[in-house]
Amino acid sequence: MQISRRSLLKGAAAAGAAVALTGKAEAREKMEPRPDAVGMLYDSTKCVGCRACVTKCKEANGLPYDRGNGAIYDAPADLSSTTKNIIKVASSGEKSAFMKQQCMHCVDPSCVSVCMMGALHKEGEGTRKIDGEKKGTGIVLYDKNTCVGCRYCQIACAYVVPKFEWNAAFPLIVKCELCRHRGDPKQEGPLAVANPACCEVCPREAVIYGKREDLLAEAKRRIAADPQRYNGQVYGEREGGGTQVLYLAGAGIKFEELGLPKLPEESSAHFSESVSHAPYLHGITPIALFATAAFVIRRNKKKEEAEHHGEGT
Amino acid sequence: MSEMSPRETFMAEQETKGVSRRGFLKVCTLAAGAVGLPAWAGEKMAEQAASGAKPPVIWLHFQECTGCSESLLRTSAPDVAELILGLISLDYHETLMVPSGHQAEKSLEESMEKNAGKYVLVIEGAIPTKEDGIYCIVGGHTAIETAKKVAAKAAAIISIGSCASWGGIPSADPNPTGAVGVNKIITDKPIVNIPGCPANPYNLLGTVLQFATFGTLPALDDLGRPKFAYARTIHEDCPRRAHFDAGRFVQKFGDEAHRAGHCLYKLGCKGPATHANCSLNHFVEMPGAWPIGIGHPCFGCTEQKIGFRVPLHDTVDVERPTAPGTYPPVHADHGVVTPAAVGVSGLIVGAMVGAGYVASKKMSADSEKSKGKG
Amino acid sequence: MSGHDHPKAIGGAIMDPLMKLLLAIFGISLVVMLYRFFAGIGPVSNMTDGYAWGIWEPINVVVFTGIGAGAYSVGLLCYLLNNGRYHPFVRPAVLLGAIAYSLGGSSIIIALGRYWNAYLLGAVPFWNLNSVLLEVAVCVISYVCVLWVEVLPAVMDGAARSGSPGFAAWGKKWGPRLASAMPYIIALAIVLPTMHQSSLGGLMLIAGPKLHPLWHTGLLPFLALVSCLSMGYGAVVVLTTVLKYAWKAKHDQELFADMSKVNGGLLFLFAAARVGELAVHGKLKYLAVPDFHLFFFVLEMALFLVPAFMFFSSKVQRDRGRLFGAALMTVAAGALWRVDTYLTAFNGGPGWNYWPSLGEVAVTVGMAALGMAVFVLVSRLFPVVVVEDVHQTSVGAGRVRAAASR
Repeated sequence: MQISRRSLLKGAAAAGAAVALTGKAEAREKMEPRPDAVGMLYDSTKCVGCRACVTKCKEANGLPYDRGNGAIYDAPADLSSTTKNIIKVASSGEKSAFMKQQCMHCVDPSCVSVCMMGALHKEGEGTRKIDGEKKGTGIVLYDKNTCVGCRYCQIACAYVVPKFEWNAAFPLIVKCELCRHRGDPKQEGPLAVANPACCEVCPREAVIYGKREDLLAEAKRRIAADPQRYNGQVYGEREGGGTQVLYLAGAGIKFEELGLPKLPEESSAHFSESVSHAPYLHGITPIALFATAAFVIRRNKKKEEAEHHGEGT
Repeated sequence: MSEMSPRETFMAEQETKGVSRRGFLKVCTLAAGAVGLPAWAGEKMAEQAASGAKPPVIWLHFQECTGCSESLLRTSAPDVAELILGLISLDYHETLMVPSGHQAEKSLEESMEKNAGKYVLVIEGAIPTKEDGIYCIVGGHTAIETAKKVAAKAAAIISIGSCASWGGIPSADPNPTGAVGVNKIITDKPIVNIPGCPANPYNLLGTVLQFATFGTLPALDDLGRPKFAYARTIHEDCPRRAHFDAGRFVQKFGDEAHRAGHCLYKLGCKGPATHANCSLNHFVEMPGAWPIGIGHPCFGCTEQKIGFRVPLHDTVDVERPTAPGTYPPVHADHGVVTPAAVGVSGLIVGAMVGAGYVASKKMSADSEKSKGKG
Repeated sequence: MSGHDHPKAIGGAIMDPLMKLLLAIFGISLVVMLYRFFAGIGPVSNMTDGYAWGIWEPINVVVFTGIGAGAYSVGLLCYLLNNGRYHPFVRPAVLLGAIAYSLGGSSIIIALGRYWNAYLLGAVPFWNLNSVLLEVAVCVISYVCVLWVEVLPAVMDGAARSGSPGFAAWGKKWGPRLASAMPYIIALAIVLPTMHQSSLGGLMLIAGPKLHPLWHTGLLPFLALVSCLSMGYGAVVVLTTVLKYAWKAKHDQELFADMSKVNGGLLFLFAAARVGELAVHGKLKYLAVPDFHLFFFVLEMALFLVPAFMFFSSKVQRDRGRLFGAALMTVAAGALWRVDTYLTAFNGGPGWNYWPSLGEVAVTVGMAALGMAVFVLVSRLFPVVVVEDVHQTSVGAGRVRAAASR
């Protein structure tokens, strides 16, 4: 009995380890972009760095000016709790390229995967339906009412996008929600859900709003039409499981130089959830472990008591 | 009147037109400043003009609208047109001269003979090349022939307007006449291009004055344009620049932002890629008399590759993107390290390690002792 | 073995200099914590959007609960593998666990930005079952309750033996009832830590792109589970040794040596699994990059392997000091691996830097001080520690009873 118990434990540990080691347990299917997914396409070669999007974003979202570093005007240095969208410049030697940063609205977002009570969730699924029907536009939204401020989203996000109000007694997580609040009823279908201010004001249509599949097609069309102009890749098509905000960069410019990390095709959320869920076997493992432990402990105790009784203590 | 010196005559003439001696000197100084010359050069110019040594100018018209001449004539007080005409001896100008027909041709011939190697040739208009240039014939000569003939004996050649500079409107697609700029026909002499549609008369004035005073031509950029006027982009000196930097753009003609005078870039303003001094020297010295001043985007007339080439409402790249402050780098610096905190946390970790080590040693010794006793 | 040794309340003056010192340290951190609730987390910490957890999560939660896992590891040995010899360790270990976990839990409340929403964690329909942190949170909250229930027998024991009749009656009435429910509670006390301790490793699975490859692996949950067991055994040896010196606690070197052999095995397992994973996934190349990550990796491996070898040396097994040192290294090994995984090997993103502020350090140290204070207090008042000299203790117990009734 002793041996079998031990081997049982060992077996469980070994099974868990094996599953974890391979990391290939498909505990969850891969998340595909939903049909109604909307997003943005940013073309770094078209951007002129005018920052109209930065200004308009602040206006549309009611965000205060960022006068860090003693600036007398709004001059944010990075995304922050007062800046949901920013234009940066990547320069290496002679070459330089503009870069727009905001939430990537991942197809399979880490922040949504880790959010304890669905404060960060994908549009169309509601905050409560975490394993929803995968409908809606997939915009990553924030619901302050279920947020406990644990900041796991900040740890998890590979793009360092969610920001926290560090200097507030009652802080919020701040990030781009694709101007969901500016929804445009004149648009048709899923496009009516949001209306990003940055796309509206961009003077060169360097950033455009649309359905993800249309944007992806447009990005590929642009590359095909002028292969010399671009580096030939569309960032966000597959990176980290895909994003709903897509990027084009100029020839000779790597996406990493623009601050877009090199990510595997498997989303972090998929990896994490697969590894974490696998040993649970849909909740059977803890129950079985509890039952076994309770049984063994009870039996041991009885045996012990019987011994004591025999000894007459 | 006859006993008056030429100098007195000139000034008397000016004064009857309401231009004081001081005013004339001021314009010359201004012109000198515009060409990047010191103030004394302006005085020298005034001297020279007054002394009657006026450079002879021959002005030819080919495929054009005479807009450049018109804008030259429509300059307001102080009367730059008259000043130019006073400063130079305009021997041949088809629009302005009194003679016509054979008389006109004759005055051209005479001026060329008399001032051979000394005159300034100003050409307005593109030159058609298709079918041997039959699309522009004046007095029985094609534009090509005339240009070559007159240029041969010229001291300096100035192409005024975009048409003469590189073809302008006549050369726009599909260019039925094969119109080209003067520098495609005359290739053996330096040519100053003063593009614009029309060209700003001040830029012609500056060039001509420099030649008249010093006998030299201004420094040119790679498109043959005088650097004093075409080195900077419209965008760099644009009065609406603040709106660009602040991200305030007109979305469509007549909207709130348009009325408020915001940046016209989104409507297709070519200012960020167009080299010209329009934003500083408005036309005919009338404040606001230039496209952006009246609420229309710059259309890039002084650029060979933009005006009449890029659609009116397409946007262009910003050539030198400068802005107040700098753009943040892709990876901004964050985080603070307080030396005190480093020290304290170091102390804590050190104390823990030290205490552990000492305790372990002491216990070890105790252990030995108790064993010894046991 | 003449039956079980029974634990006794230690007694003694409660407000001794050590207690005053601990409370003073905690007082400083209390000021920082209160300030945090008015001014936000930013002013008291150096946490940034890149290093959003600072040291509070890695140390206060992950390391503290690792130390608190003594209750889990000893419980596993004692109850599930039915090795009754380890009984004397159980109560101190459980108390240590209860305190460490409570501190971890309360630290979370301080670190939570929107703590007032935390009550929603009790609402099952809100749960995102994909969130590892949710699992940790719910499990830790439940486990804290379970641990304090596990501490209750000591309290009831104390009550039953107390002079006050009402108190004694209460203890006598509820003691046995609790005892019959204990197997199920203990079973819970085994399932819950198995789940959340592995999840504490699983938390960082999702940070793949930000975590150094030497630390990021699918084995994180497994490694965290093994490390918590080894940390737990180490912590129990350290604790009992300290208690021996402080209060003459019963101290069985042979028992230590046996338990340490188990620990040694765990340490070897950890090291082997870790290096094996690196080899399988072709990550050994990172060991050729001499940077500060490599330094920490080597330091960790040394801290894991040196005590592992020591535990199997008979010389060390006999030497109380060396065994103590080795056990201490075990705790340090687990703690360092945890801090590295959460902080040192975690890259908040290019341009982001972090070093804890004085305020953060004060809170962490203050929490640790509070833990020690509570441990001392409970051990003085209730029978937790098994002491060598019965007479001395009963005298002490009388004093404590007097103190408690004051």
